[in-house]
Amino acid sequence: MIRKTRVKGTWLAATVLAVGSLFATSLPAYAETGVTGSEIKLGITLPLTGAASPGYNKIGNAMNAYFKYVNDNGGVYGRKVTLIQKNDEYSPQLSISKTNELILKDKVFALVGPLGTANFTSVHKSVGIARRGVPSLFLNTGFSGFGNKKTYPTSFMVLPSYAMEAKIIAQFLKENHAGKKLGIVYQNDEFGIDGMGAFKAAGIKFDVSVSYTSGSQSAATAQTWVSQLAAGGAQVVVFFGVTSATAPLLAVAAGAKYAPQWILGSVGADPLTLRALGVPLAVLNGAQTPAGNPSPNDTSDEYVKQFQEINTKYNTGTAFDDYVLQGMNIGLMTVQALRAAGPNPTRKGLIRAMETKGSTFASVAYSPLGFSRTSNVGHTGYYMAVMDANGDRKPFGGKVTLYTTNSGTGPVTVSTFKRPAMPAKGLPSNS
Amino acid sequence: MRNFKFKRSLTLVAGTALAASLLVAAPTVASATPVCDGKFPVQSCGGATSDGAPYAMMVPANFNGTVYLYSHGYRPNVPVPAGIPVLGGYSVTNTPQPGPNATVIGALLAKGYGVVGSGFARQGWNADSAIKTNVELVGLFKKQFTKTTKVVAWGESLGGFITQALAEKHPDLFSAAAPMCMASDVGPLMTMAGDALWGMKTFFDPTIKGGSYSAGAAGYAEAMGDLVKVFTAIGSLQAAFAANALTPAWPATSRVPDAIKAIPSRSALVMVALMSGVPLQSAHFDSTTAPSVLPVAQQTSFILAINPAFAALENLGNAAALGVLAMHDIEQQAGGAFFDNTATDYAARIADEQFSWASALSGASGTAGLLSVLAASPRAKADPAAVAKLKTLTSHSGKVEIPTILFTATADPTTAAGNQQSVADKYATYMAEKWTAARKAGSPKRPANNQLVLWNLPPEKYTKYSAAGAPDTSLPAATGTTHCNFTNSQFLAIADLLAYASANGKNLSGGPLLTKLRKAGNMTYDRGYIAPRLKYYGE
Repeated sequence: MIRKTRVKGTWLAATVLAVGSLFATSLPAYAETGVTGSEIKLGITLPLTGAASPGYNKIGNAMNAYFKYVNDNGGVYGRKVTLIQKNDEYSPQLSISKTNELILKDKVFALVGPLGTANFTSVHKSVGIARRGVPSLFLNTGFSGFGNKKTYPTSFMVLPSYAMEAKIIAQFLKENHAGKKLGIVYQNDEFGIDGMGAFKAAGIKFDVSVSYTSGSQSAATAQTWVSQLAAGGAQVVVFFGVTSATAPLLAVAAGAKYAPQWILGSVGADPLTLRALGVPLAVLNGAQTPAGNPSPNDTSDEYVKQFQEINTKYNTGTAFDDYVLQGMNIGLMTVQALRAAGPNPTRKGLIRAMETKGSTFASVAYSPLGFSRTSNVGHTGYYMAVMDANGDRKPFGGKVTLYTTNSGTGPVTVSTFKRPAMPAKGLPSNS
Repeated sequence: MRNFKFKRSLTLVAGTALAASLLVAAPTVASATPVCDGKFPVQSCGGATSDGAPYAMMVPANFNGTVYLYSHGYRPNVPVPAGIPVLGGYSVTNTPQPGPNATVIGALLAKGYGVVGSGFARQGWNADSAIKTNVELVGLFKKQFTKTTKVVAWGESLGGFITQALAEKHPDLFSAAAPMCMASDVGPLMTMAGDALWGMKTFFDPTIKGGSYSAGAAGYAEAMGDLVKVFTAIGSLQAAFAANALTPAWPATSRVPDAIKAIPSRSALVMVALMSGVPLQSAHFDSTTAPSVLPVAQQTSFILAINPAFAALENLGNAAALGVLAMHDIEQQAGGAFFDNTATDYAARIADEQFSWASALSGASGTAGLLSVLAASPRAKADPAAVAKLKTLTSHSGKVEIPTILFTATADPTTAAGNQQSVADKYATYMAEKWTAARKAGSPKRPANNQLVLWNLPPEKYTKYSAAGAPDTSLPAATGTTHCNFTNSQFLAIADLLAYASANGKNLSGGPLLTKLRKAGNMTYDRGYIAPRLKYYGE
């Protein structure tokens, strides 16, 4: 009798403990904004319509496709990942209200891949991203200012900064185009200024310098750019702007039979988007460009191959290009970040995970990631590539020579960094 | 870029918004003892406090013991001659105003509340005297209506300033308070107005005096002359925008170098708005919408570059008119010029926002060009004695013990949302100090937060265009924009919240609060929201 009672008591105690531990593990998950027992809700603002949307409007769907693939394979610790896309039309004012909506109405756990420098600058200040402790992962902008960990403690870049890119192009110009007349077309805001500052610091002087105001790009304005470049005799022209400006520039130049050596900045050099905007691929033939990722056509690359498969199944009908590749890759990195935050993720935990484990994440880009407790810098380098008449790009010189640097005065160096392998089947298992 | 013809002229709301609230007729007699009409079911009483300020009291037969003391907003203290745009024909009035408008007053009376308000002894910036007037008025009301158990204070604009000050200084008299579209301290407020006025002068008409007005009639003439010049400049810009919105011409009165005039004048307007803290969302311009008739490629440009300039044009009328009228008024009170921008770094002022509005500012080079004009232009210098005198005027400490409810539009161009934010910030500091003191004293209980901060946000998109693509400014101002542009539902929600706070000693919270706000419409409670800080912080 006594023994029986003891057994019953033990059983009862075990039951209570089990229930208690169930609560202990479950409660934090339900207590965090945007996380339930079955779902993690994420948000992104980007231009889905308007002049700035070509290419960018593919990123969200690509991320979603990757998340669907992960969800069909068990999700993240059993939770499905959902992404809410908001169209900000590239308007900073609209980015603010859309982000407010994501945070207050949709109650997302984190922002992932918000796009645009002016947009995120406005959002960060007006919405109070840091003050609210909202993680903002993998910003789709290379403005080096976002690398300021004190100002942006909850935000993390993914692209190499525009300053890094300009430093690497500067090195390339010195090594391969010395003595030629140089021209540049740049966006006359923080994007272009970031790059121009780095060019200047690297000792590059442009013989012809043309700027344009964001939003003003058109065939008409491109006429004036080309006129200035041609009149100045620029033999090598660096373009440091967005794709919607590259297109009229190249189209107008081709029409005017002006054919300098183009060096297209990474932001505005996606061949498929340029072709969709009316640029004949032949015009791109021979254009040089800094690239962080392999060509989206390079099926020998394990990341590209896996992402292409996912795109075919989960993003049906969408041509696989740099933007899709970028979106998928952000999805991959996001899932790793969520896993690193543990089975019961909190916003603070996610930020901590980015700081402590983010630099080890698998990513399609060749260069190292700079995340740490003191750095929110993402990828840190580029290789130079050459485009062909098919809209494909190949490493300049036949093999990838990776250059890494920082946004400051650090040197540009050739890196031997070997990127982590793609997780098996593209499904991260990190913790 | 196509040219736009306005459906009708841009509405220059300007300073009338400060004074144009409905005035409520009530018996006014120059007597300390209220003279009442004895009517049923609502009795109206009038009289004057010891400073000569007329007041009005209205009390229903079923008076429930709670009375709302309303403080009206800024009324210019000088007449504005006919012929001056928008404001012309204004006469100084001290008609008492016991509530925001007749409808709201009627609704409160129907619920059994009493209402009371003064016309104040002087107009213009009158906070110090108005506070005394109101304190005396509360005593008179209680004496007349002995059933009075609770007095709540509310007011708009300058009346919001007065209301906050009453809550801080007289917790014994009031059980709750609601400053709405409030002004904060006069120094920062006038820095905003002064910067806007100085910017208009610098870019568009250097003959605008912009302050340092002479004493007496000469100063009055100078101020009225400035009003004309400001509105003339605004009118010229308006015409230029209508003729060519992409590259509007500079007013003929502008004396900026020709090289600067290569930058569109719209960018200078945006610069003036940014450097002074005037919002880039106005009554009819949202900075997010383009005419659908434009080609897609041009729509983005319109959103980024043109719409914000229209918003600046519509808003700056208000700020500059306040700049002239209040500058003249307060200089007369202080005995000299008090606006001083000799040490102001306008580049630093806009550093946080220049990237957000890069296209509207014509890019980095346009921004640099406009900043070079500001840097090279003669600055306004204050009279130290006047500044010292200004500092003796009442200011807000943020230290409040009774429940308060703050409510303002985030795109208010006259008393920018930062005014409300500054009071919220001060209260937060005060609460932190109290919490520290409590812990030191061994108390584990955090002091209760008794400040409810509410915001009126504009919709995402509200600019309307005609089929031809011209912006329509004939529509009512969008919610969340313009000065004290509240609906009766919002006023009555505030009144209900005040009644609850008064009865319970704390603000309504949780689901009932959110339900109340949702039903009223366009009232946001978000503890994470912080309005842009006023530009003059830390200077």
